[in-house]
Amino acid sequence: MSDKTIISIQNVSKTFVMGDVKVPVLHSVNLEIHEGDFVVIVGPSGSGKSTLLNLIGGLDRPTSGEIWFDSPDQKISGFSDSELTAYRREHVGFVFQFYNLVPTLTATENVQVASELSHEGMPPEEALNLVGLEHRVEHFPSQMSGGEQQRVAIARAIAKNPRVLLCDEPTGALDLSTGRSILGVLHRLNQELGKTVILITHNSAIAEMGTLCVHIGSGTIASKESNPHPVSPEEISW
Amino acid sequence: MKPLNRKLLRELFRAKGMLAAIISIIAAGVLFFVGMASLYYNLETSRRLYYSKCRMADFTVTVKKMPVVELEQLHEIKGVSEFRPRILFPVTVDLPGVERPVSGQILSLPEEPAPIINNIVIRKGSYFTDSLSSEIILNDTFATERDLEPGDQIELILNERKEVFHIVGTALSSEYVYVVGGGGIVPDPANFGIFYIKESLAEDLFNYQEAANQVVGILEEPSRKQPDDVLDRIERKLEPYGVSAVTPLEDQSSHFFLSSEIENLKTVVIILPGIFLTVAAIILNILMLRLVEQQRTIVGTLKAIGYTNREILIHYLKFGGTIGLCGGALGSTLGYLFAEVMTKHVYSKFFAFPKLVNQPYPGVLLTGVVISLLFSLLGSMRGVTKVMALSPAEAMRPKPPVRGRRIWLEKWTGLWKSLTLQTQFSLRGISRNRMRSLAGIFAASMGTMLLMVVLLMYDSMEEMMDFQFTKILVNDFEIGFKDPRGYGAFLETKRMPGVDYAEPMLHIACTLQHEHREKKVTVTGLIPGSRLTIPVNTEGDREPLPTVGLLLSKRLAEILDVGVGDQIWFEPTDREEELKKVPVAGIINSYLGLSAYADIDYLNRIVDYEDAVNSIQLKTVRDPTVEAEFLRQLKNTPVVQSVSSARHDRQLLEETMTGQLMISLSITIVFAGMIFFGSVLNSSLISLSEREQEIATLHVLGYTTREIARMFLQESLILNLVGLLVGLPLGIGLGWLMCVSMGTDLFRIPFVIKPGSILITIVVGTGFTLLAHVPLKRSIDRMDWVSALNVKE
Ligand SMILES: Nc1ncnc2c1ncn2[C@@H]1O[C@H](COP(=O)(O)OP(=O)(O)O)[C@@H](O)[C@H]1O
Ligand SMILES: [Mg+2]
Repeated sequence: MSDKTIISIQNVSKTFVMGDVKVPVLHSVNLEIHEGDFVVIVGPSGSGKSTLLNLIGGLDRPTSGEIWFDSPDQKISGFSDSELTAYRREHVGFVFQFYNLVPTLTATENVQVASELSHEGMPPEEALNLVGLEHRVEHFPSQMSGGEQQRVAIARAIAKNPRVLLCDEPTGALDLSTGRSILGVLHRLNQELGKTVILITHNSAIAEMGTLCVHIGSGTIASKESNPHPVSPEEISW
Repeated sequence: MKPLNRKLLRELFRAKGMLAAIISIIAAGVLFFVGMASLYYNLETSRRLYYSKCRMADFTVTVKKMPVVELEQLHEIKGVSEFRPRILFPVTVDLPGVERPVSGQILSLPEEPAPIINNIVIRKGSYFTDSLSSEIILNDTFATERDLEPGDQIELILNERKEVFHIVGTALSSEYVYVVGGGGIVPDPANFGIFYIKESLAEDLFNYQEAANQVVGILEEPSRKQPDDVLDRIERKLEPYGVSAVTPLEDQSSHFFLSSEIENLKTVVIILPGIFLTVAAIILNILMLRLVEQQRTIVGTLKAIGYTNREILIHYLKFGGTIGLCGGALGSTLGYLFAEVMTKHVYSKFFAFPKLVNQPYPGVLLTGVVISLLFSLLGSMRGVTKVMALSPAEAMRPKPPVRGRRIWLEKWTGLWKSLTLQTQFSLRGISRNRMRSLAGIFAASMGTMLLMVVLLMYDSMEEMMDFQFTKILVNDFEIGFKDPRGYGAFLETKRMPGVDYAEPMLHIACTLQHEHREKKVTVTGLIPGSRLTIPVNTEGDREPLPTVGLLLSKRLAEILDVGVGDQIWFEPTDREEELKKVPVAGIINSYLGLSAYADIDYLNRIVDYEDAVNSIQLKTVRDPTVEAEFLRQLKNTPVVQSVSSARHDRQLLEETMTGQLMISLSITIVFAGMIFFGSVLNSSLISLSEREQEIATLHVLGYTTREIARMFLQESLILNLVGLLVGLPLGIGLGWLMCVSMGTDLFRIPFVIKPGSILITIVVGTGFTLLAHVPLKRSIDRMDWVSALNVKE
């Protein structure tokens, strides 16, 4: 963990417009994330966590407010579509609840899809090693368990060597022990490679493993706590 | 290989059944395009090469007799580039071992080979030599059919004498690419010979010293396209020598048939591929939409990972592109082979070319691939734009559940409730996927239209043949004399062995004029109540023959702009300046466009003959030995100049046409079937994959796979029925248009709709729809019910 701010969220609001109906989802969210942080964002379902993560990941733009990456260098909230694509390509890795692997590609090939996008990318085998999947590389998603699929998805996310890993309920579809091991992988990537991890969950037990814990409720940040003594994933249970 | 390309290949392979269906429809379209276009170029090129090699004439003028020196006047006419006089006479051939006299034409050629107009191409033997004066060259097709070789002798009856000639060679000429002798429609090379003899010999035989009766010529470039003016001037110059016909190249019989075949190819080359490629594009459109829909999250994920829109777009375009390339390559190859087979085995039978060009045209093959690619990309377009529109954040969100909208039929509760669950399921399926249902209807209607048009053309051709030979021309034989003869000739013929019934006829070639309009026609003089040539209208009813005046066909009356009661000028071709005024006594709405009839006695009177006859039609006893005796006697009657037989023509026509049509009919059924089969299979497989969960539930509830399959079948049959209802009138309309456009001044094609054709169309359409359910049923049987129930979305 360093003192260098990697993501700065300033007064961000997001309102979805569906026809005539406006759905306000985020109101004046402020958040500073430092390089090497393990941020856990906790909140009930529908509170706007994914929306916030999508904004950070450059999948969407805020209605108002600013988001800076490596601030004050890049104001991603003001990026054009192609700038956002380049940003996603270079700096962020996504991990989703349902893994979102390409079913017709093997583990290695799924990772390759991402690794070949980046010049600093690592060989798919290396990424799969990092997540502890060296022996199932030729399997298709349908031949793997949920935990294994999520490991492939994490390998895919880190294969580009991004600075930030954005994980949207990565354990949401997994049982306790598998979930724990996935969290263990993310923890190790954070500790050993110094990746900034932002993980969202509706499960407050997971919050204890973060260096920064953000509670979100109906579109606003209810509380933020730094946690100088995060617990290791093995000790978490739900 | 890039992982995305690997994904592409695996997904293409997985969907191979559906893709095979689309690819074969595309390939069919390209096959027709490449096949017809190659045939077009093969014929076009062959014709061009042949015409320039033989120096094909731009015009032919036939006169009674004129001194060759007088032709010099033609040089004064601007636009005439070159010309050649020649002597042409009809002859009959006495072939040993052949019962009937065979007709033919004799033509004069220079003693020495030279690059003359309407030259010949030697096939066997040689050109004339100095050794004998009675040397003859005959046309190669006739020689082949009749087993005649250089060195053989042949006996021709000309000028009422039998003459022996020595064959030195066989040849072909661009004038006779398509040889129809004696007014037939199909070439009958065995029964029509073309004979070339030395000019000096022709002059002696026909008493035409330094004279000719035909001029063939070439026009200067600007006049070629608009030859009418020049030809008018030529006609006026040669008027004193009794011009009987001025024929521009356009109306030359061989050229006319060859050109209409080439023109027909041009129409077909657009219509058929158009139908197939449009259907394929629409099916592909649906398949791609479905694919992109299924890969929503993959698209979103790829975008989230950092793939640009362009990269993703290209990835999905590759689907359509691959299909297009496969269909294009397959279709181009097959199309080329099709053209080759047609050229070698069909066209070479109909058209006599010394060399029928048969080659691949890189431009055509490439165009085939390109249009296939184009239609495929077009078909992928909607799916691809959907990919573009999808925002990554949106794609990640679970898809909103399909609106469980009630369909309009459900508003009639009573009616709806009375339907079985299966029918309700089918009807919902149809109305929920409007686009797909419309595509199914479209494909079915195109398949229907295609079948209907071909069947209607078949019916109409058959009707035309039938009409021609059972209503208009019902003779067994028609005998033509060189010059008009007295009534005695008729009586003599009637007494010949085997003759059952005979009728005298008088054909007078003439010009009919009304105000400033004129037309060269032949007036046919018949006896009242004639039974072998009958003036019938389109209804098939006999039109009474007026005792005074002419009975004109409707088309001819239109050309001359006359009505019943009008007086027109009548000028016999072989007698200049002998104009007579005759009344139009009737107009007959006939399929034969340019016919004119008169009572034989009346016709005799206006040309100042007395009971003259120049043609006799007859029915013979149906006994081969008696008939053979009749023909043998006929062969020994030198005054007979031509013998034709409507009965024989009919047989020949039926054999050729029926074979041809059966082949094209079966091809059409196969290809139309492909449209039905492909579109039904495709849409029901998609429907199946979309409703897996729904039908898995039904299965668990106790429905058998057979019952489930029946719901899909019902859905396809309903769409098929609507498609049939739309396609039938479309096909009928198109068939009618084609009949009208294929008709000419000489004949119109009757348009008939036989119930049998409608029935065949319905049976074929429904049959292929049923067939497409075999693979669907298998998919249902093989379905993994458990995983279908546990889909997460
Ligand atoms: N694209 C969208 N259009 C409209 N409403 C949306 C959209 N995305 C999210 N929402 C709404 O915003 C709210 C927050 O959604 P989300 O960020 O997914 O919540 P969480 O991830 O915390 O469960 C929900 O009520 C959701 O329906
Ligand atoms: Mg969420």
